[in-house]
Amino acid sequence: MEEKKRIKKPLGVARLLEGKCIFCGARCQSACPKDCVEMTEQGEPIIDITCCIGCKKCVKICPSQAIEMYFTPEQQRLLDEIARHGAPAAEEEAGQEEVINSASDSGYRGVWVFVEQINGEPAAVSWELLGVGRHLSWQLKVDLCAVVIGEKVQHLCSESFAYGADKVYIVDEPVFRFYRTQPYFVALCNLVNKYKPEILLIGATGVGRDLAGALATCLNTGLTADCTGLGVDEKRRLLMQTRPAFGGNIMATIVTEKNWPQMATVRPHTMHIHEKDPSRSGEIIRERQYIAEDDIATKIIEIIERTQEGSVDIAGADFIVSGGRGMQSADNFRILQELADELGGVVACSRCVVDAGWMPAERQVGQTGKTVRPKIYIAAGISGAIQHLVGMQNSDIIIAINRDKHAPIFEVAHYGLVGDLFKIIPSLTRQLKALRANGKT
Amino acid sequence: MLIVTCIKQVPDTTQVKIDPETGTLIREGVPSIINPFDAHALEESLRLKEKYGFRVLALSMGPPSTEMTLRKALAVGADDAILLSDRAFGGADTLATSMVLAEAIRKISAQEEVALVICGKQTIDGDTAQVGPGIATRLGYSQLTSVDRVDEIDMRRKRITVRCKFEGRYEILESSLPAMVAVLREINRPRYPTVPLRIISQEAELKVWDNRSMQLSEDKIGLKGSATAVRRIFSPDREKGQILAGDEVNDPDQAARRLIEVLVSKNLISVQ
Amino acid sequence: MSSQVLLFSALFAIAVGFFLLSCYLRFSLVTIGKPDNRFNELGQRFSNMLLYAFGQKRVVTRSYLFGLNHAVFFWCFLILLIANTEFLLHGLFPASVSLSLLPDILYFTLTFIFDIVSFFALVAVLIALGRRLFVPPKYIDARTYDAFVILGLVATLMLAFFTLHGSEIALGEERAALYMPVSAFMGNFILARLPGGTLTALVTAAWWVHAVALLGFLDYLPYSKHMHILTSIPNCFFKSLEKVNTQPREEFHKGSAYGVGRVDQFRWKDLFDSFSCTECGRCNDNCPATRSGKSLNPRLVIHNIKENLLHNGRQIGKGLEPALPLIGTCREGCVTETDLWECTTCGACMEVCPVFIEHVPKIVGMRRNLVEMKSTFPGEVQSLFENMENRSNPWGIIPAERGKWVTETDVPPFEKNQTECLFYVGCTGAFDTRNKRNTLALTNIFNNAGISWGVLGKEEKCCGDSLRRLGNEYVFEQMAKENAALFQDLGVKKIVTQCPHCYNTLKNDYRQFGLNLDVSHYSEFILDLIKAGKIKLKASAGLGRVVYHDSCYLGRYNGVYDQPRELIKLSSGHTPLEMERHRQRSFCCGAGGGHMWMEENADTRINMERVRQALQQKPDTICVCCPYCVTMIEDGLTDLKVTDNIAVLDLSEVIQRALV
Repeated sequence: MEEKKRIKKPLGVARLLEGKCIFCGARCQSACPKDCVEMTEQGEPIIDITCCIGCKKCVKICPSQAIEMYFTPEQQRLLDEIARHGAPAAEEEAGQEEVINSASDSGYRGVWVFVEQINGEPAAVSWELLGVGRHLSWQLKVDLCAVVIGEKVQHLCSESFAYGADKVYIVDEPVFRFYRTQPYFVALCNLVNKYKPEILLIGATGVGRDLAGALATCLNTGLTADCTGLGVDEKRRLLMQTRPAFGGNIMATIVTEKNWPQMATVRPHTMHIHEKDPSRSGEIIRERQYIAEDDIATKIIEIIERTQEGSVDIAGADFIVSGGRGMQSADNFRILQELADELGGVVACSRCVVDAGWMPAERQVGQTGKTVRPKIYIAAGISGAIQHLVGMQNSDIIIAINRDKHAPIFEVAHYGLVGDLFKIIPSLTRQLKALRANGKT
Repeated sequence: MLIVTCIKQVPDTTQVKIDPETGTLIREGVPSIINPFDAHALEESLRLKEKYGFRVLALSMGPPSTEMTLRKALAVGADDAILLSDRAFGGADTLATSMVLAEAIRKISAQEEVALVICGKQTIDGDTAQVGPGIATRLGYSQLTSVDRVDEIDMRRKRITVRCKFEGRYEILESSLPAMVAVLREINRPRYPTVPLRIISQEAELKVWDNRSMQLSEDKIGLKGSATAVRRIFSPDREKGQILAGDEVNDPDQAARRLIEVLVSKNLISVQ
Repeated sequence: MSSQVLLFSALFAIAVGFFLLSCYLRFSLVTIGKPDNRFNELGQRFSNMLLYAFGQKRVVTRSYLFGLNHAVFFWCFLILLIANTEFLLHGLFPASVSLSLLPDILYFTLTFIFDIVSFFALVAVLIALGRRLFVPPKYIDARTYDAFVILGLVATLMLAFFTLHGSEIALGEERAALYMPVSAFMGNFILARLPGGTLTALVTAAWWVHAVALLGFLDYLPYSKHMHILTSIPNCFFKSLEKVNTQPREEFHKGSAYGVGRVDQFRWKDLFDSFSCTECGRCNDNCPATRSGKSLNPRLVIHNIKENLLHNGRQIGKGLEPALPLIGTCREGCVTETDLWECTTCGACMEVCPVFIEHVPKIVGMRRNLVEMKSTFPGEVQSLFENMENRSNPWGIIPAERGKWVTETDVPPFEKNQTECLFYVGCTGAFDTRNKRNTLALTNIFNNAGISWGVLGKEEKCCGDSLRRLGNEYVFEQMAKENAALFQDLGVKKIVTQCPHCYNTLKNDYRQFGLNLDVSHYSEFILDLIKAGKIKLKASAGLGRVVYHDSCYLGRYNGVYDQPRELIKLSSGHTPLEMERHRQRSFCCGAGGGHMWMEENADTRINMERVRQALQQKPDTICVCCPYCVTMIEDGLTDLKVTDNIAVLDLSEVIQRALV
């Protein structure tokens, strides 16, 4: 009797849920063993139910849960009946178990953090990575290791310990004086192959992303870029990597299941730095790398510090403090510059400011000026005419400061401050300065 | 000598929004566009073509509809276009994508010497910035990323000099050809297509390579060759416009403090 | 045959031969232009010619009093054409052709007319000379060599005429002496005392001076701006039968050239236009770009086209490459790119041109060449082009947001086979915060009227006006075709628009795409509703002194001048104030022709100039009828720092206030 029921159990057919597909790139199509999935021009699947065998592969692979199994009312009735009889459906999970086992058996252990430095000066993101890495290593019950590569970078070992590392791997040789892709990724690749960490974190800086891309390819492993959140699935020892996708409009959690190490680059300023503890110390492992300068194709001709003065490139800035007609005079832009300096950003403006001659045309944001996409855009005394909005509306965060609470800028702002910008802006600068002064000591 | 420009067709992500009420994606009528970074890569290729006399080949991996984007590349002056399209390529992450692209470039270079591969720094749908380095590593090309200026190409010595823009500094780097150059959006302003080229591009014949012609192991490409998997998709907890100071708070210091608190709590700025 | 006749015959043959050759050489150049049918509806064309050429309708206007002088010239010239024909024939065949062979009554009448007319001509010459010397108009190089040569020749002719006839009268050889008051005055008072021999010699001398001056005039004509004497009458005949409110379509074949990058890529009528220009300067006197200190001067554009044609025409005719570029920088004979981009396509030049030269299509034609063939245009325009093509609005806002305003109020959607009238909102009305107010006002008014109307919401697409005016015909055509298909699909028959630019595009440009819709601007539409009794207005106070600004695309382009004024009167109780430049002579706000999306860096801003003109009327309210004008006038007020007590209202907002 039971045998008979099992044979009859309907599998259903896959069906797309309207409005949920995110055009991930035809994962469902690739997963389908029977080639029943066609993609529309937009990248949405069309499932041919006549050939669907109900294997659920597409349902499982879909990152946005946009595909479900559909049963006809008759099949549904059958299912309900099976459910009432309490027939187990355990065999489905078997596949996953297999993966779990292999994950745990990979032989890769430990959380590594790449310590980025220029001229021996560490990038702050490295300590942020140690901060989050420490949590991960606790959960996985492994060591947190820092990897320091450079020339005369011995001092970074003790700093790494102070920020939470249990172990430091250090490669200290003249060839590593400046970051260059080739020697760095080769060195790191060798280290990884030798010590086999299960997780490798790198800062999502220009250098970090250059290195990580090359390294992951050479290690043939997965790499998740620009993560803003990290966690672990302790059971499967999986790094749960969360990052914005689709221009920040959605968040995705990504895992690397079958390859090691699990690599991620992490966006600066998103992780907390652990309180510095200079008394901490640990094991230092020195590694030698035999890379000859002559074998390196890339030469550094010059390194130029980017200063605030000179030509300011508002299009590529991460922080923009922008002023409008409400600034009233060219002199008043000084207070915006002070805030911009504090944030490490630049000053921009709306069109009327350029018209009035308060700012040069290259600082103009908007329809006939530049389009900017900073992480934070502060609009001070800008009413928000449509011509301006189109130049900055794709900023990650828009902060509007304006006296007129009906100003259209508040419609697009994430945070609005209705009030006198001549009081609020200097206060912001002052308080930020004070906080940072406290933070440093 | 050839410049291969890698192009991806992406959904216009600025048009993808989360419905604030239902929390679902609004992506009705989201058009496919050329990845904006790649448009700059293409433009840089064309400028180098004009300066040094390269041929420019636009290369893209994607569904058949990507043809439209490759035609746009032809319309601004690319000499050739190849579309890598096969079901087996679908569902690829950056690892599997760079595999297919690199193998295609290897195949192309067997016929014509490749001097440069120019990519956009990243795509706007994935933002990974990994495919360029992936290609460079697989092919053993010099890797130059975050490039905001190509200074010079010395054809005789086969060297290229570029300026890279990193946090707080520029680096002038010189490296050997062939090289993979990943460009920033600041590098140039993409040109606008002329009508004669648009019309020619509409009728041009595109080469499409599938896996029968590529002969790649199915374990290394597409979904199977991908190392990463998306587990979950959710909407970011970004509140809709919030007035932090106004009628109830008109103390500027308090207003400023509240703003800083919010920014710090959301890790938007750091005060350390 | 006397030696004098022989000599004159030879001279005549050479001069006329030279004249005919000159005309042939010049006019044959016109044939290198592209085809353009200007020979249809001959009746209409003849009546245009009568009205505008012979009636001098556009020459004599209130703003140009000296036009009267020209009318005198024109008519004198026509009449003296008979006298001079007789003069020449008489010179050739002294025995068989002469007025004096006519019966007395006819002879006396004609001599009387010729005498008086010659006098008028002389006076007109003196007035013209005096004006050029003492009160030259600012808008033109009045003291040109060319002008003095011609005026000198005409004066010489007239003086020779009077000397000739005066001497004859003094000799007592003229039987019509009594009927020639001016010549008689000359003969009896000035020349009378001269001895007979001298008088006889004077007759001969004057005759020869007259003959040489006349033939010289003839030969000089084709090489001067006075060529218009030959071309302006046919140009009035060939004038566009409809208002020039659109530009011709282009055919996008593989391998052809697009737009006008060489002078032979103009249509023949454009080239003929260049020969017809009288260089009167009225176009630049009314051009907002010229008046606000830009380098564009419509008169010089036409002049340079002519010079380019003269320079290159022959070579092009032989199939060779032109030596002088049409678009570029050179001393004479080129139009600069800057000039082309400064045009707001407001049409003021075409409205005042006495010989109906069509400036805007030429400028747009050359812009097309820059955009479509060379991809060169002011940098800020590129994002406009891309946004229009990819997202069907100028800012590049997500198309789905076009329907957002609909959710803010009670708006019916357009339903196929049910809704009678489509309200085409337009980009500014749908996206721009300020201009959404007008949209909401119109929504209110339409709802109030209880009519069957609806909107397309997010399905609506941009009409493409700015693209067409900026010369991006290729993308404009795509958008026009999409819209045409959309309207046909939905069975749209009647459209009311908010924006005059949409209005003109849907009404006039789209006809070229097989779309014959009943398109009205809301000012026409609402006035009709009022007349039908569906809307009642109560004149409301609170607007103060209202001055009305005519939108170019509503007024000049489509002749809608009265409806807005009538509506203001109905809404406010008073006829609106008029600026000095109004109706046909209205001054552009500075946003037309794609300028809404461009920077205006040189010299004075056009919008500030227009606001200054408005302020002269000391208004409390500036009422406009176009979303672009709203933005430009508001910005102009802010830039002039006079925002406090002057309101800029769209007519829709004015009407809404008066709704009962």
